[in-house]
Amino acid sequence: MKRTVKTIKGLYTALLILFMYAPIIAMIVLSFNASKSRAVWGGFTLHWYHSLFHDGPILSSFYNTIIIALIAAVISTVIGTFAAIGITRMRTFMRTSSMVVTNIPMLNADIVTGIALMLLFIACRMTLGFTTVLIAHISFCIPYVILSVLPKLSQARRTTYEAALDLGASPLQAFTRVTLPDLLPGIVSGFMLAFTMSLDDFIITHFTKGPGVDTLSTRIYSEVRKGIRPEMYALSTLLFALVLLLLVLINNAPAPGRRATRRQLVLSRVIPAFLIFSVLGFTLYHAHAGSVNTGNGQVVVYNYGEYMDPEVIEMFQKETGIEVIYEEYETNEVMYPKVASGAISYDVLCPSEYMCQRMLEEDFLRPIDMDSLKNKDNIGDEFWEICRSVDPDNRYFVPYSWGTIGILYNKKMVDEPVDSWSILWKEKYKGNILMQNSVRDALGITLKYLGYSLNSTDLDELTEARDMLVRQKPLVQAYVVDQVRDKMIGNEAALGVIYSGEARISQASNPDLEYVIPKEGSNIWVDGWVIPKNARNVENAQKWIDFMCRPEIAKMNFEFMTYSTPNTKVRDLLTDPALKDSDILFPSEEDLKDCELLHYLGKDTTDLYNKLWRDIKSK
Amino acid sequence: MSDKLISIKNISKSFDEIPVLEKLNLYIRENEFLTLLGPSGCGKTTLLRILGGFEEPDTGRILFEGKDITALAPNKRPLNTVFQKDTLFYHMSVADNIAFGLKIKGKSKTYIQDRVHYALHLVGLDGFGERFPDSLSGGQAQRIQIARAIVNEPKVLLLDEPLSALDLKLRQDMQYELIRLKEELGITFIYVTHDQEEALTMSDTIVVMNGGRIQQIGTPEDIYNEPQNAFVADFIGDGNIFDAIMIKDKLVRLLGAEFECVDTGFGEMNPVDVIIRPEDVEIVSPEQGTITGVVTSVIFKGVHYEMDILAHNYHWTAHSTKMAPEGETVGIRIDPFNIQVMNKPIREDQETLVNE
Repeated sequence: MKRTVKTIKGLYTALLILFMYAPIIAMIVLSFNASKSRAVWGGFTLHWYHSLFHDGPILSSFYNTIIIALIAAVISTVIGTFAAIGITRMRTFMRTSSMVVTNIPMLNADIVTGIALMLLFIACRMTLGFTTVLIAHISFCIPYVILSVLPKLSQARRTTYEAALDLGASPLQAFTRVTLPDLLPGIVSGFMLAFTMSLDDFIITHFTKGPGVDTLSTRIYSEVRKGIRPEMYALSTLLFALVLLLLVLINNAPAPGRRATRRQLVLSRVIPAFLIFSVLGFTLYHAHAGSVNTGNGQVVVYNYGEYMDPEVIEMFQKETGIEVIYEEYETNEVMYPKVASGAISYDVLCPSEYMCQRMLEEDFLRPIDMDSLKNKDNIGDEFWEICRSVDPDNRYFVPYSWGTIGILYNKKMVDEPVDSWSILWKEKYKGNILMQNSVRDALGITLKYLGYSLNSTDLDELTEARDMLVRQKPLVQAYVVDQVRDKMIGNEAALGVIYSGEARISQASNPDLEYVIPKEGSNIWVDGWVIPKNARNVENAQKWIDFMCRPEIAKMNFEFMTYSTPNTKVRDLLTDPALKDSDILFPSEEDLKDCELLHYLGKDTTDLYNKLWRDIKSK
Repeated sequence: MSDKLISIKNISKSFDEIPVLEKLNLYIRENEFLTLLGPSGCGKTTLLRILGGFEEPDTGRILFEGKDITALAPNKRPLNTVFQKDTLFYHMSVADNIAFGLKIKGKSKTYIQDRVHYALHLVGLDGFGERFPDSLSGGQAQRIQIARAIVNEPKVLLLDEPLSALDLKLRQDMQYELIRLKEELGITFIYVTHDQEEALTMSDTIVVMNGGRIQQIGTPEDIYNEPQNAFVADFIGDGNIFDAIMIKDKLVRLLGAEFECVDTGFGEMNPVDVIIRPEDVEIVSPEQGTITGVVTSVIFKGVHYEMDILAHNYHWTAHSTKMAPEGETVGIRIDPFNIQVMNKPIREDQETLVNE
């Protein structure tokens, strides 16, 4: 009996530790994985650690995270400590009310706090940026400090202040020599709590940040779209190791009420302090080493995450002397409300064509002075042509990147020729099909398969497409977004609907994969530069757009992103045959014949699409 | 017992418009052990805090050696306090705690060392200097608090129920310690307590307080033997308290029976209060007693028996070394000298606790 209990206890502990630490171990392992894919072990490497220290955006967001957490923790600790002292001296009614006021923000959902703060900042006409994030962090950290200091102040402890006065200390002496040291454990734990809360926060930061300010959490989020880069695993591993080391060292501290030996002091205080300061010094050094001397004003760029070679930004700054404030978003739908709210005036954005159409309809955009763009002729005529369906006079939208949706299949698992969407409805691939978890993509390809436009607004056509998808559902392994790539690389599915850019990356990791644009046609998408109406630096924005149209710049970005480029000069500049000769990146005109751009369909039709999508998902 | 060291003149204080002290007048002589005694809420601690400078009186003045110190900050006053609660500084060693006041005053290192040594010796805790407060027992912590106060050589030591948190045996030991200390140091002690036994044991002078007013000032013997009103009588020691009629000088009627007493000057046929201490109730044979009653309970108390006697519808408490068994009819006789006659209360706060 006793042994059984002991076994169960041990098992329980083991499970607990496993569940808590398995994810961290997975992350640590991946940080040494030479393959970029999460599904394949490509051998041991320290490459990610090496490239981490040369990655400007990651280092600067790390620096922001640390600096914001540090300043927010210091300020909220000071304010919170005094607030706690004040609260204990209040009459009962006031004290209870203050405690309620203190507790509400902690129980409040972060998203409410975040949105409320954002609205407040906008109402106060404050530009969203570093300062607003800092203010937001200070405000949500204060209650935590108050709650950690308060218990130390209560009851008996308060009389030590009077005892000090009684022994001849002035009020200031009594506070600094007695109250403060007495409170110190509470203040320190309040500080640590505030620091961690700030370090951890994503939602509030997300709503209150402005262009060019990213913390680690918001940067990771913006990377999710293209898959988190292994450098992040490396950074997270380093952070984990640092925290672990600090904890081990600090736990070595003497028990309270005992004198510390010199060795204990060094181990538990001096070394941790040294570690923390060296990390701070390192981030500070890198943040400053990275800054460039700029004098010709700014340009505020709001681009997709991972959608530009960082070196291009450096080059633009160096050449023009214009400071680039660069912010990234995850999807058009995240970008839109931020621009629409008017909280931040961006100078140049990179929406997809359907979002550009919507912004045009809502009169958010300003026409671009196309004559000032010396390099605009590098953009292929066919792309200007395609874009006319959303920007009839080609006055607002300069194509930057494009791609298609198609089928990625595994040659080892599919032995018949793939050239039609119909293969996704074949019973024999049951459980081996991956679909995009997105309403327009899923309905779009089905509409194309049925021979309709993927911008159909016809209820009968749409209902037919819905029924097709419902029928297909039992065959589908999963509706996913990012994982199509990983799963296909890992040979976990035979067929997957995927964007061409992702297809190329997948093919590079797994040569058995092949991409095809089905003969019924598909969706072609084009992302391009636009200038919003409330832009402050229009001229700089135009310089930016023109810079992006230069062949060698377009080539750098193309090599970084490996999405197809509308720049006709790029293919000739390429040397790598894997890129130069890729059918995925440079499809024939025949392939693109029946491809359509997605259009913004208006609110009612969008609602209809969403309703049909819910029907499909809930079946 | 010489000059007035501290004079408290017309001190009033209220919190949230509830009066705590009302026009209080009191003086304290040099080298006196004065105890403020009263139930909780009687204002004794507030008075001590006003003396220490932690509260400001609404009206009135405090004179120290003739100088007005009413508005003086606590750290400027030549007195030190031993608090009821443990107010040791937990982040300092015992020695640093004791040295705190001296360091603030900027005394030399060797001087401080000597004094800390001396103070520790005085409270019987030699060698405790390197310890930290959380390793001390309650009694030790309280002694360190005392050491921390006296090391500054105050003219007056204020003690706010310093022993209330200790157990009985330790409390009794500490009472003798405090008396010894006071004699050794030759300074004035102002002691606050609600424990009448503590007050009787240690004090030169006891000030009995209730409802923010002074009920009686006197030596322990005065207070015990000659309480001036029913409140004092009831609060100090046990007692049988009666509504009585003063028939004439030296004759009082209580419970329908007439008793001879030694008090005069209460008029004729006047309502008065009478107190008879339990040890003064003589148990005799029924025919010898002024009144008779039946023993309803007997409790052995060590030195004496405590008996409850129902006589004339009143439960008498009697202490005697001789036991009368339960159920026996006995007579009660009172020596005229042991009947204490008091005026009926004029003010509310002089009511007995029982009536509250």
